[in-house]
This record gives sequence, C-alpha cells and structure tokens, in this order.
Amino acid sequence: MTQPRVFLVDDHELIRSGIRTEISRDVDIIGEADEVEAAIELILERLPDVVLLDVHMPHGGGLAVLCAVGERAPSVRFLALSVSDAAADVISVVRAGARGYVTKNILGPDLVDAIYRVHDGDVVFSPRLAGFVLDAFSLSSSGPAPSGIDPDLDQLTPRERQVLRLIARGYIYRDIARELDISTKTVESHVSSVLRKLQLSTRHQLSNWASERRLV
Amino acid sequence: MTSPLTSPAPVIGVPQRPMTRSTRNAVLGGVCAGLAVRLGVREQVVRIIVSLSVLFFGAGLLIYMGAWVWVPRWGEDRSVAQRLVGSRRESHIILLAFLGALVALLALGDFAKHWSGVASWPLLLGVVAVVAVWFGSSRDERNHLQDVVNATPILGASSARGWRALAWRFVPGIVLLVIGLETLRQLGGVWGGAFHAVVGAGALALGAAILLAPWWLDSVRDLSRERRERVRVEERAKLVAHVHDSVLQTLTLIEKAAHSPTDVVRLARAQERELRHWLFAPEHAQSRDDSHDSFAQQLRGIESDVESAYGVTVELVIVGDCPGDTRIAALTAATREAAINAAKWSQVSHLSIYGEVEPTSVSVFVRDTGVGFDLDHVAEDRHGITQSIVGRVSAHGGRADVRSIPGQGTEVRMSMSRSGVSV
Repeated sequence: MTQPRVFLVDDHELIRSGIRTEISRDVDIIGEADEVEAAIELILERLPDVVLLDVHMPHGGGLAVLCAVGERAPSVRFLALSVSDAAADVISVVRAGARGYVTKNILGPDLVDAIYRVHDGDVVFSPRLAGFVLDAFSLSSSGPAPSGIDPDLDQLTPRERQVLRLIARGYIYRDIARELDISTKTVESHVSSVLRKLQLSTRHQLSNWASERRLV
Repeated sequence: MTSPLTSPAPVIGVPQRPMTRSTRNAVLGGVCAGLAVRLGVREQVVRIIVSLSVLFFGAGLLIYMGAWVWVPRWGEDRSVAQRLVGSRRESHIILLAFLGALVALLALGDFAKHWSGVASWPLLLGVVAVVAVWFGSSRDERNHLQDVVNATPILGASSARGWRALAWRFVPGIVLLVIGLETLRQLGGVWGGAFHAVVGAGALALGAAILLAPWWLDSVRDLSRERRERVRVEERAKLVAHVHDSVLQTLTLIEKAAHSPTDVVRLARAQERELRHWLFAPEHAQSRDDSHDSFAQQLRGIESDVESAYGVTVELVIVGDCPGDTRIAALTAATREAAINAAKWSQVSHLSIYGEVEPTSVSVFVRDTGVGFDLDHVAEDRHGITQSIVGRVSAHGGRADVRSIPGQGTEVRMSMSRSGVSV
C-alpha cells in the first residue's frame, strides 16, 4: 500500500518538526508551510492527498486555506489539527470542508491512523468534536425549521446521536460497532452522514451556536 | 416569608404598606414609583401629579425631596435622614449647604424673587435636600445616582472627568444664561420686543452648531476609538502578564523535574489546562467559589484534580450545562470517585469523562480502556469503591452501573433526573 502524500501547515516550527518526527515513517511528507499564502500556493501546486491544517494562524488561519483550496482542488482532503478549545473555530473549519478534527496532543500512532482514515475518505471525529456537534444540534433542534430547507439536515437521527455519544465517551469505531451490534462500516457511514449534515445545514443557529452557548 | 429580589411593582387598586422608595423603576430617588406602589395606582399618574404640583409654588419639589430624605429605599432599613443624623461630619456638611444656599438667595435678593418667584424657598430647601441625599445615600443608591448624573445632558460627560471640569463649564454657563435672560427681560420681556432677537440668536447658534457638528462628532468618535483601543491594549497586557508569569513558573518547574517524565507531563498538562481556560473560558477561570459551580465547572474541577494527582490524561467532553444543586453534587462526587478509581487501577494513562445535560436528566460516563476486572471476583477494596459510587447516585434517585470486561476496560455509567423536573 502506498503511503499517503501529506502536506503540513502550521505556523509553529516546533510543532511541525514534532509532527514530522512522529509521522514521517508512516506517511510521505511532501511539503510544509508556515503561513496562509504560501500554503495555498504550494498545496495547489503539489496536490497532496491529505493536508494537516492548523486552525489558528495569522491572516485568516486554516479557514482561509480551506476556502481557497477547496474550490480549486476538491480532491485534497483536510484534517484540522488544533489546540483550540473554541467550539466556534472548530465547527467553522469542519463546515468549510475539513474531514476531521484532532487535538495536537494526539499520540503519534493515532495521528497516523487519522491521516490514513481521511485519506480513505472516512471522517475523523475526536471525542471533543463529537461533543461540540451534539451540543450544536441539540440547541438547533429547538425552534421551527426555516422553510425551503430539507428538515432532515437539521436533525440527527437517534442512531447518529447514539454514535456521537459513544465517540464522546471515548469509544473507537470498533468498540462502537460492537456496542451497537452493527458493522464498523455502518458506524463510518453514520459519522459521514453527521459530517454532511454539519456542512450542509444552513440553520443560523449552528453557526451562531457557540456564541449563544456562552450566554446559557 | 422570603422577600423578592427586586422591589414590588404597583398592583392597581391595592395599596401596599409600608411605603419604600422603589429600586425597580426609579428615575431619581424612586419616590414616585414607591408612592405608586403604596397607593396602588399607575406610576405615570403619580409622576404627572407630582410634576404639576411643582408649579404650585414648588410644592411638588418639597414633597419629592422630603420623601427622598425621609423614606427609606427598598431593601434598606434606614432613610437618608437617619443615616445623616448618625454622622457628625455629614450633618455639618448639610448645615453648611443650608447656610450657603441661604446666603446665595439673600445676596441675589430681588433678582431671585422675580426670577423664580415664590418658588425660591422650596428651591433653597430642594438644593439642601439634594446635598443631603448625595451624602446620606447608601453606596448602592449612590451608584444609581452616578448613572443618572452621567446620563444627564449637561452634567453627563464632564462628571465622569471630575468635578473641577464640571465647575469650569457649569459656572460660566449659568452666569451667561442668567445675564442673557436678564438682558432680554430689560429689553421688554422674552415674549415682548426681544422675541425677534431670540429667534435670530437661536438661528445663529443652530447654524454654527450644524457647521461645526462634523468636526465635533469626529473628535468624539476619535476619543471613543482611543478609549476602546486603550481598553483592548490593557486587556492584552493583563493576559500577557498572566500568561508569562505562570508559563515561566511552570517552565522552571519542568526544568527541575526533567529527570521524571511523569512530573513533566503533569506540569505541562496543568499549565495547558490553565491557559485553555484563560483563553477560551475566562469566566470559568475566574470563579473560585465551588459552591455555586455549574455541572460543567464541577467536571472541569475533577478533570484538573485527577490529572494533577495521578498523572493521567483525562479527555473531558461536556454537552450542555446546568446549575449545581445537591443532586448534581452527588453525581459529580460519584464521578470523582469513578475517575480516581480508573486512574488508580486501570493501568492506562488515559481516561474519558463524558457529561451530558438533557432536558430531563444529567448523565456522566467515566471510561478507561485498561485492564478491567471481573465484577464477580473483585478484590474487597475495589468492590467497596464500586458500591459507594452506585450508592451515592442511587441515594439521590439516580441510576448507576459499572461494566467491566477483563482486558478491555471499565465504564461507569451514571444518570440522574434533574431537580424540579418530573420524569
């Protein structure tokens, strides 16, 4: 099996070198960038399989890179990597097209696993992201749905909720499959469907939810 | 009987005793609103009657100021007058104010008579009462008054900058106004021959104001922008100072603990947590009073305590939040035991805590992927701990169960219906 071609975007040299040493044996690192402009240019030029993207950077952060590359090179997949606890940032990066979100204190093997997963078209939900998403949808499910939008997009099915809860409780996909007595593939499809809802739902609550949440 | 947090609203047709000055809907001293409650009528009615009665030789003014001084504010046990009588220094000030106002009135003599007419005596007493109120009011009421003063057009902006600036503008302004009125009167009365002069002067002033307005507005805007900038810079400086201080200390500790990886990890985790709270949830970082902590805050406390005491990583995910009460306290206490249990026995350095608040219930899951144990054949001490977790939760009407598979890990599941919610 060929190694996925990975591109690193982070404005901290220390973090980049740390990630490099942890994953360089298992993936093919084809470049890195420490700022938004350079990242966009190099990614479009080299078309990596997976971009490891720092959420917080000067001049627009990961979101700017995602938006610029997403339109012109849809084949490039993004995995958001952050130390951020700010739910709004994480949700906005996922809504902009990132296929997953992991925190920077993730262990080397887990990060490699996440990269392979994203490369295979799967979605990587960390427990924290699952919590954010549950939170977002539980708030947005109250109140009437705006007209003209598929109402299914604004709500998680009970099964999807169950899966997200288990992720938040620290279960990995294999454990979830065993717990719910379904196949790992089905778990993956539930998670992908949650991601699709997260990205397509146009409820303003979802985007504004983080600020509302502070007021609760 | 417990008293409500805000002073009562008037109930039309039902007089309420005793009279207090309202804090709920006070324009100045809350006298009119308080009177409305006492008499059981609408506030507007009282306000209009009091305002009109001012025209009767200043009677309304006297009534208002009298009530302000003699009637205690809602929630306070002493009135302004009682407070002043108790303090020698303050009563001297009132006496001085009275004498000062009296001298001013006599010196102005005639002028005062035709200018403010018979109302000059009530006016004198009113001024004294204002001074009395200013010195005799409680801190709470003084804050309210300061807000009122700041919102007044003429007094407003300058009072924020100090009384000296106010005096500089106020005294010449009043003198000029009086001179102007006096001159007009001698010209034949404001509504006599001077009418055209007044219209002309008004137009002139308005024209000048319109011409100068952009410049004035600009300078005001600049000022507020400057102020905002300054606040932001100060905030950032505060943050930077705090971050630098605590990070430097942690780095020093890490240098000292370099020989022990566990200590380094523990220190780094603790610092990371503190910074996170500072950056992303400052309101939580500042609260130190445990008794009013919300569900989420209590769980965060457990996260940091367990991490620093046992050198493990706790992955904490919380969905929703609710205020703490005795049931929440029981639930979080059980969570703490479960987390400590996992940290001590699981033989892995990572555990997950998931807390969720739903409309009718609150649940917590504590999970590790460690060695696990056979529930039927557990060591006596572990068994006891498990029992006490379940016991704590069920004593408050909740449910808890422990699932453990040897070699695969342990999960403690707890849920509790929320207080005041029937399930």
